[in-house]
Amino acid sequence: MSFDLGKTALEEATKKGASYADIRIGEILDEHLTVKKGVPEEVTLLQTTGFGVRVIVNGAWGFAGSVDLTKKEVIETTQKAVSIALASSKLKKKDVVLASVKTRKGKYSTPMKKDPFKIPIEEKIEILMTAERIIAEHSSFIKSSSAFFRDLREKKLFMSTEGAEINQQITWCGGGLEGIAVKNGEVQRRSYPASFRGNFSTSGYEFFESLALVDNAKKVGKEALQLLDAEKCPSTETSLILSGDQLALQIHESCGHPTELDRALGTEADYAGTSFLVPDKLGKLKYGSKNVNIVADATVPGGLGTFGYDDEGTLAKQVYLVKEGLFTGYQTSRETAAELGFKESSGGMRADSPLALPLIRMTNINLLPGDWKVDEMIEETRKGILMLVNKSWSIDDKRLNFQFGTEIAWEIKNGSKEKMLKNPTYTGITPAFWGTCDAISKEDWEMHGTPNCGKGVPGQVMYVGHGCSTARFRNISVGLIK
Amino acid sequence: MVTKRLIDISEKTVKTALKEGADQAQVASFLLDDTLTRFANSQIHQNIASKTGGIAIKVVMNKKIGTLRVNTLGEKQIEDAVKKVVKIAKVTPHNKDFRSLPEPQKWTPLKGAFDSETALCTPDYRAEKVKEIIETAHSKSSIVKAVAGSFSTGSVAFGISNSLGVSAWAQMSLASINTTVISEVEGSEGFGSAEQYSRFVEDIDHIQVASEAAEKSVKSVKPMKISPGDYEVILSPRAVAVLLSYLGYIGFSATMYQDGQSFVKYHLEKQVFDEKLSVKDDARDSLSLYAVPVDGEGVPKKAVQLIDKGIVSERSICYDSFTAGKEKNKKSTGHSIPPVVRFYPYPRPLPINVIASPGDASIDEMIADTKRGIFVTRFHYTNPLEPTKAILTGLTRDGTFLIENGEISKPVVNLRYTDSMLSALKDIPMIGEKLVQVDDTTAPAMKLKKLRFTGVTEY
Repeated sequence: MSFDLGKTALEEATKKGASYADIRIGEILDEHLTVKKGVPEEVTLLQTTGFGVRVIVNGAWGFAGSVDLTKKEVIETTQKAVSIALASSKLKKKDVVLASVKTRKGKYSTPMKKDPFKIPIEEKIEILMTAERIIAEHSSFIKSSSAFFRDLREKKLFMSTEGAEINQQITWCGGGLEGIAVKNGEVQRRSYPASFRGNFSTSGYEFFESLALVDNAKKVGKEALQLLDAEKCPSTETSLILSGDQLALQIHESCGHPTELDRALGTEADYAGTSFLVPDKLGKLKYGSKNVNIVADATVPGGLGTFGYDDEGTLAKQVYLVKEGLFTGYQTSRETAAELGFKESSGGMRADSPLALPLIRMTNINLLPGDWKVDEMIEETRKGILMLVNKSWSIDDKRLNFQFGTEIAWEIKNGSKEKMLKNPTYTGITPAFWGTCDAISKEDWEMHGTPNCGKGVPGQVMYVGHGCSTARFRNISVGLIK
Repeated sequence: MVTKRLIDISEKTVKTALKEGADQAQVASFLLDDTLTRFANSQIHQNIASKTGGIAIKVVMNKKIGTLRVNTLGEKQIEDAVKKVVKIAKVTPHNKDFRSLPEPQKWTPLKGAFDSETALCTPDYRAEKVKEIIETAHSKSSIVKAVAGSFSTGSVAFGISNSLGVSAWAQMSLASINTTVISEVEGSEGFGSAEQYSRFVEDIDHIQVASEAAEKSVKSVKPMKISPGDYEVILSPRAVAVLLSYLGYIGFSATMYQDGQSFVKYHLEKQVFDEKLSVKDDARDSLSLYAVPVDGEGVPKKAVQLIDKGIVSERSICYDSFTAGKEKNKKSTGHSIPPVVRFYPYPRPLPINVIASPGDASIDEMIADTKRGIFVTRFHYTNPLEPTKAILTGLTRDGTFLIENGEISKPVVNLRYTDSMLSALKDIPMIGEKLVQVDDTTAPAMKLKKLRFTGVTEY
């Protein structure tokens, strides 16, 4: 059925004068379970089906999508996409050119042991209820406690007038915990394994089980409480050690977004902004120290941005963005790749639903491991602060000036981890910050899933991943809340 | 009529859910037509149309609650969805905090909410206006390098029914134009932006948007660096709207209040802001953009005085039926988020019709009254740091200027602010006389005695 509808769209587009057309037909199942303060606050299934047609007519793009999977609707929607492209072509400076792609008939399915959608809801909720109860019962100062589970399955068929025919089934799941302690108007939060509902992976239910929420719940409650009486992070310039769960967002904001080529070429200028990594700086700009190697890699097992093919049919691949500190690459689409004369796309075009237009999105943006042990890194730090688990974030529209806050920090003094610190924050300018990176761990490298990356107009929310390990930065401004 | 169809679907689905064994059921069906022409580098680069619809079903079985949202209005698929959500509810533990779905209340539709010309706006119309925006911006100066932005038009409609007799609907059209202009002199870029929203596409003055963005952009090239610190600031309505919208998110939602995370909880009946600051949430006020008379549960939206002459109180809090049920003698204020939003059912009630009271000053008067200060066109990437202290951080963008001796003197690089709104909004010497709709917030310009800037960018 889907194949026939796809063929109908491509034939209609060609008949109406499209020089290129593609269609994505898909279905998304998205299950959210939340237990908060002892009750199942959210037991929700979101189900999205539909299709989106992209066409190039007169050298300009048109796109239209609809939820009705009928032949009549597919034809009408394709015609609408063509008329939109004709309107676009009135205001073009040049014709759209696409970098070549090897035309494929392919299949991909996320490898997994246990299908999370086959695990009974009551079994998942029982784990959440138990873990949440442990946090809540830790202290009367715990005013809010929550446990989260989410699984998502996306099935999609991609077809193009170039002959592509690709079926994919992507499945991911995960979860987390949150405890909020309140005393005298002060609020402190601890999360596990990461903030904003936890950690997620393109895996089966075995990933959620590996998080062992029940075993980790007590520590969440305990540390939230301890933070209330902890000393404030001092305002100073010092050595900063970031654990992977915080470094993941640092990579996301200060390397992931600025290496999106659409931003660098100005096409997101009205909303998210542009990028300091303009094409003139490619291969020339010192982005970080020699220790810094960052890749976009859609092939890493378990990465939240792992798939078989992107939404233009480009095979998943690894691309260097930063090599030994030098800015060397972009995340691209076929169109933007052609604009800079690249032979092929980096394979980063993704849409958050079959009804949405694909945009350049992160896949897995990973900081490659170094050769340090975490203990050695701490032992070799005379004075510094170790920060863990993101609490707040903000970065400017060129991705230079950033400020992050984390949930918890530890003072490092003469090579040992000393007292707990609350309200930790740090700030910097992207290349200067990465330029001070003098140590990256080799032993705690893992993937961190970010299911809520926003971009585009109208806004789309994409699931992306970041692989990294603990790393150290020198002479960083910390403690910005007076 | 679209809304009649949606109500029929919702009512029929409620009956089906009751037949399947639900004690209570609530159904929201919706349609969303979204069209958008996006431009950058002075040409159209994205042009899209998306038609979606769906249904969100909540069933209650002995205080066990299940929710399912599916983006179809097909009869068979809805029947399947009801069976599925009943299964979900059956295996869900009791929610001891749940009292009941809301009882029906009298409501009346809002006039002037829907404009068919806006809902049915064509890509050719949008392309024509975008062409004029680009031409206008370039005509302002030869240093204008690129024009970017978006022009969106469309409509939303929803119908909500529940097993206690709620039957309510809303239909609204929406148009917006946002333009960013980039100028360049000797390698130094200047950015300027402007935007307008309306329920009526013909009310949007696209030439004005283009002119304002271009003028700011041209004036922004070669910005100077200034030191971080405390400055007097004049905030445009767009910048004020961001701050008020975040206060709504972190302060006035019952969820944050009940969790002890809202600053309101710790400042009840106190003069926490300048007494010139009054802010309400009122969907029935024609100054508000989102003309929805009922919320996501079909409860009539009530006006809530969020800030009354600088004072916050228990009356400032916005409730849905679930959060109201957790407190004694509380009733929903109609602030459950409507079903057309992406993540409906949204996990917390929120004010989305925020309106600040105007003052009597013009922006020119505010500038003339300032010896040394900063003018902010808009804020970017604002986020809360500490909700109980209302500490926010973010950056300026698209037109930040130094004011010296009553005049705008020079462009400055973008600045990061990190400050508590409890201190920043405590002393507001002047408030603008003109209110501007900025998405969910209608705000005037404001002059603040002090805003703390904690960092600078390099452009």
